[in-house]
Amino acid sequence: MIPEFHLWAMATAAAVAASCATVGTLLVVRRMSLVGDAIAHALLPGIAVAVLAGGRPGGVLVFVAAVAASLATVGLTHWLRSAGGIAEDAGLGVVFTTFFALGVVLVSAAARRIDLDPACVLYGILELVPFDTVAILGREIPRGFLSAVAVLAAVAIGLAATWKFQVFTAFDADAARAAGVPVAAVTTGLLAATAVATVSGFEVAGAILVVAMLVAPAAAAELLVRRLSLVMLVAVLLGVTAAVVGYLLAWRWNTNAAGMIAVVLGAEYLAAVVFAADDGLVARGLRQGAFAWRVACEDRLAAVWRGVEKASGGVQASVGGRDAGVGGGQAEAARGVPLPLPRGLLDRAALLWLRASGRLHVIAGRAWLSDVGRREAEVVVRSHRLWEAWLGRHAELPLDHLHPPAEWVEHHLGAAMRQRIEAEVGLREADPHGRDIPPE
Amino acid sequence: MPPDAPLLEFHDVSVAYGGRPEIWNVDLTIDRACLFGIIGPNGAGKSTLLKAALGLVPLVGGSVRFHGEPIDRVRRDVGYVPQRETVDWDFPVTVMDVVLMGTYARLGWFRRPGSREQTLARESLARVGLADLATRQIGRLSGGQQQRVFLARALAQDAGIYLLDEPMAGVDAASQEQIFAVLTELRAADKLVVVVHHDLRTAAAWFDRVALIDRRLVAAGPTAAVLTPDNLRRTYAGEIDLLQEVGQAIAARGRTE
Amino acid sequence: MTGTWLPYNTLVVAAGVAAVGLAAGVVGSFTLLRKRPLVGDAAAHATLAGVAGAFLVSGRRDLPMLLAGALAAAVAGLAALVLIRRFTKTRDDAATALVVGVGFGAGIVLVSGITARGIPDGAGLETFLLGHTAALTAADATLLAAVSIAAVAVVLLILKEATLVAFDAEFAAATGWPVTLIDLVLVTLVAVMVVVGLPAAGAVLVTALVVIPPLAARQWTERVTTMLVLAGGFGLTAAVAGVAVTSRVPGLATGPVVVLAAAAIFAVSLVFAPRRGLLARRQEARRGRAAEEHRP
Repeated sequence: MIPEFHLWAMATAAAVAASCATVGTLLVVRRMSLVGDAIAHALLPGIAVAVLAGGRPGGVLVFVAAVAASLATVGLTHWLRSAGGIAEDAGLGVVFTTFFALGVVLVSAAARRIDLDPACVLYGILELVPFDTVAILGREIPRGFLSAVAVLAAVAIGLAATWKFQVFTAFDADAARAAGVPVAAVTTGLLAATAVATVSGFEVAGAILVVAMLVAPAAAAELLVRRLSLVMLVAVLLGVTAAVVGYLLAWRWNTNAAGMIAVVLGAEYLAAVVFAADDGLVARGLRQGAFAWRVACEDRLAAVWRGVEKASGGVQASVGGRDAGVGGGQAEAARGVPLPLPRGLLDRAALLWLRASGRLHVIAGRAWLSDVGRREAEVVVRSHRLWEAWLGRHAELPLDHLHPPAEWVEHHLGAAMRQRIEAEVGLREADPHGRDIPPE
Repeated sequence: MPPDAPLLEFHDVSVAYGGRPEIWNVDLTIDRACLFGIIGPNGAGKSTLLKAALGLVPLVGGSVRFHGEPIDRVRRDVGYVPQRETVDWDFPVTVMDVVLMGTYARLGWFRRPGSREQTLARESLARVGLADLATRQIGRLSGGQQQRVFLARALAQDAGIYLLDEPMAGVDAASQEQIFAVLTELRAADKLVVVVHHDLRTAAAWFDRVALIDRRLVAAGPTAAVLTPDNLRRTYAGEIDLLQEVGQAIAARGRTE
Repeated sequence: MTGTWLPYNTLVVAAGVAAVGLAAGVVGSFTLLRKRPLVGDAAAHATLAGVAGAFLVSGRRDLPMLLAGALAAAVAGLAALVLIRRFTKTRDDAATALVVGVGFGAGIVLVSGITARGIPDGAGLETFLLGHTAALTAADATLLAAVSIAAVAVVLLILKEATLVAFDAEFAAATGWPVTLIDLVLVTLVAVMVVVGLPAAGAVLVTALVVIPPLAARQWTERVTTMLVLAGGFGLTAAVAGVAVTSRVPGLATGPVVVLAAAAIFAVSLVFAPRRGLLARRQEARRGRAAEEHRP
C-alpha cells in the first residue's frame, strides 16, 4: 500500500502535468516553445517580488505577479525587436537570462527572510508538497494539490471558452486576423495561461523542468496523431503518465522526482519517434521495405514478360495459355524463356515468392508466367511504355533517354493515371520505340 | 579536359526534394560562349537546375559537366550570382568585404586577402559602377545596387562560366540595363553566361539562346526559334499537374489514383 | 593591488575567468551572425548530467574530469538536436526546449541521487548549476584560460571562412567551401565555451555569456572584426565583475552577477550606441521629420 502522502504528491504532479501539457500543445503548434522556455525562466523575479511583498507561495499575489512577468517578458522581447532591431531569438535569450539572474539574486538575498527555498527554483520540492496542508471538511488536503487543481480547472475553462479562436490562430494567425479573430487577445490569453500553468509547476518541478512538461508531451503527441484536439488529449495523457511513473521511479531509486518526470517525458518522446504509426522510424522502415519488395517483384515479372515478348518476336504470348501447374513438364519448358538473372538478395527472395504464389513457373532454368503473373506484368510494362510515350511527347529527350525514367515511374502509376496518359498521348498502341503497349 | 567537350552539359538530370522529383530528365548542351537564358513559370525548377549544376542540391539521376569535368574539379572557373533573398542585408559587412569574398576560393584556407585581391575587387566594383560605394554597409544599398554587388563578387571570381539566378528580379530598370551591359561584355570576352530569368519580354531581346523549362526541358535553342507560341503554351499551360501527382506518388512510395 | 585587497588566488582566477568571458564573446559573435544564438542553450543544460556522470564513473572531483564529462554531454545534447531535425518532423524550437528540459532533468536526477546516497565528495555538484568561482584553484583557472585562448585562436584562423559561411552559406558552398564542416567547428567551439564557462556562470546561465556580449557589441559597429573585439571585451568585463563581486560576498553564486553585468552593458549599448542605439534612432527620426516639414 502506498502511503497517502505519495498519492497526494503524484496527484499534484499529475494535475500540474495536465495543465502544462494542455497549454504546451498550443505553444508547440504555434512554434512558441522557446517563449514557453523564456516565461518559465522569467517568472522567477516576479514570484520573488510577490513573496517578498508578503504573498504566500501559491497565493493569488504570486499568480498575478507571474502573469505580469510573463507578459513583460514577451512584451520586452517584441519591443527589442521593433525599437532596437534585435532578432527575436536573441532578444528572448537576453530577456529570460537577465530576468532569471535577477530572480536568483532576489531569492538569495531574501532567503533567510522568507519561506522560498532556493532549491525550489531549479528543481521543485514536490516531495514536500503533501505536508503543507489545509483543513477542508475535516480532512487535511495539501495546499499545493488544491492550487494545482484550481489551475487545471482555470486553464480548462479558459481553453473551452476560446477553443475555436485558439485553434484558428494556431493554424494560421494571419488568416485568423483577417477573419476578424482578436489574435492579439488570443495570444495574450495563451501567454497568461502559460504563466499560470508554469507557476503551478514551479513548486512541483522548478523553473527549468517545467519546460519539459510544457513541450515534451505535445512534441510526442504531434508525432502520433494529427487533429489538434487529439494532440492535446494525447499530450495530457502522456504528461499525466509521466508524472505518475516518474514519481514512482524517483521514489524507488531515491532521487529527485521532478527530474525523473522530465526523463520519463523524454523516454515517451523517444518511443513516439520510433514507434509512431505514420512517421515513426519503425513505420518508415516498414514502408520502405514494403516498397522495395513490391518493386523487386514487379521488376522480376516484367523481366520475364519482356523475355517472352522478345523470344516470340514481339508478338504477345497467347492469352489463353493455361497455368502450367504441376503437370506442365517438358512441353511447357520448351516454351519458356531463360530466367533473367536476379540482381541481389531481394530479387532472389522475390523470385521465390513469385514461384510459391503461382505467378511464375521455373523448370530447368526456363521461366514462364501464369495468367495472374502475366496480367500483373502487363500492368507494369503498360505503365512503363505509356510513360515513355508521354515523355516523348512532352519533353525534349532522345529515344535512348526514355527508358531510365520510365524504369522508376512504372511502379507509381495507378489505373486512373494510366487512362489519363493514354487519353493524352492519343490511344496509340506503340511506344516511341515501336513496341506494343499492352492493353488494360 | 577533353578538347571538344561542351562548355556546359546537363545529361539526363533529375533532381528531387525530400523524395519528390522536381526536375525530370533534363538534357541540355551548351557548346559555345553566349548569353543563355533559362525561362519558365514560377516553381518550374529553373533555380533548382542551376543549383544542381553547382552541386548545391543532389542529383537523383544524370550528371552535369563543365568542359567535360564534374563541378568539384572546376569550381574556380564557375562564377555564381545567387538570388538576393538568400542573404541578410543587415549583416555587418561593407560592399568591399562582399566583393572580396569572390576571391576567397582562390586564396584557400587561412590566408587573408592581400593587395592583389584588393585590386581585383576594386576593378570588379568599377565594372558594375559601384566604385565609390566600396566602404558602405550593404544594408544601405538599393535593390539594384545590391544585385550589382553580387555581380561584382562573381566577377572577382574571374571565371570562364557565370551562372546567375534571377539577377533582374526586383531591380529598377536603370540597374537592369547596367547589369545587362556587364553581361554583354562578358559574352564579348568569350565567357558563357547562363541566366535564370522570369520576364519573357526582355528574354526575347537579351538572350542569344534560351531553354524553356517546366520541370522538364520543353525546348532549347536560338531564342527566336524556341520562343514560339506553341512552345510557350506547352511550358506555361500547366500540363505539369500530372507531373506533380506522379511526383507526390513517388515521394510517398505509392501509386497515383 | 594584491595582498590585503584581493588575494593572489582571486587574481589568477579572475584572469582565467576573464579569458573565458572574452572567448565566449568572440565565439558567440559567430553564432549570432549565423542566426542561431540559442544553440548553446541545449548544450548548456545538458552539461549537468555530464558533470554528475563523470563524477560517478571516475570517482574524481577535479575540474578537468568534470568538464570532460560536461563536454561529452554538451556534444550529446547538440547531437540530439541534429538527430531530431534529421529524423522527425519536430520543429527546431520545440527540439531545443525538449533537450533543455529533458537533459536538465537527467542531470538533476543524477546530482540528486548522488546527494541522497551521501556519496563521499558528492556534495557541491550543485555549484555547477549557477556558477561558483570562489572554489576555483589557480590550476583550474589556468586550464580554463588555455582552452579559451585556443578557442579564440581557432576563430581568428578561420575568420574569413566563418564570416563567409555566416553571411552567404550558399555562395560559400558554390565556391567549394565545406559549409557543414565549418558549421561543425563553430558549434563545437560553442560547446567548448559553454563547458568552460560552467564555473563562471553555471549550466543555467552560461548561455547568457555567449549571447549577450555579442548582441551588445553588434550595436556599436558595422564591421565584423570590431564586433569580435567589442564582444570579447564586454564578455571579459562581465566575467570579471562576477568574480570580483562574489569574492566579496560569500554564498552568492557567480552566474547571476555575471549575467546582470552583461545585461547592464547591453542596456547601455541598446540606448547609447551611435546609429543603432535608441537615442540615435530617435534623433534620426526627428531629423527626418524636420527635413520633411522643410521641404517646399
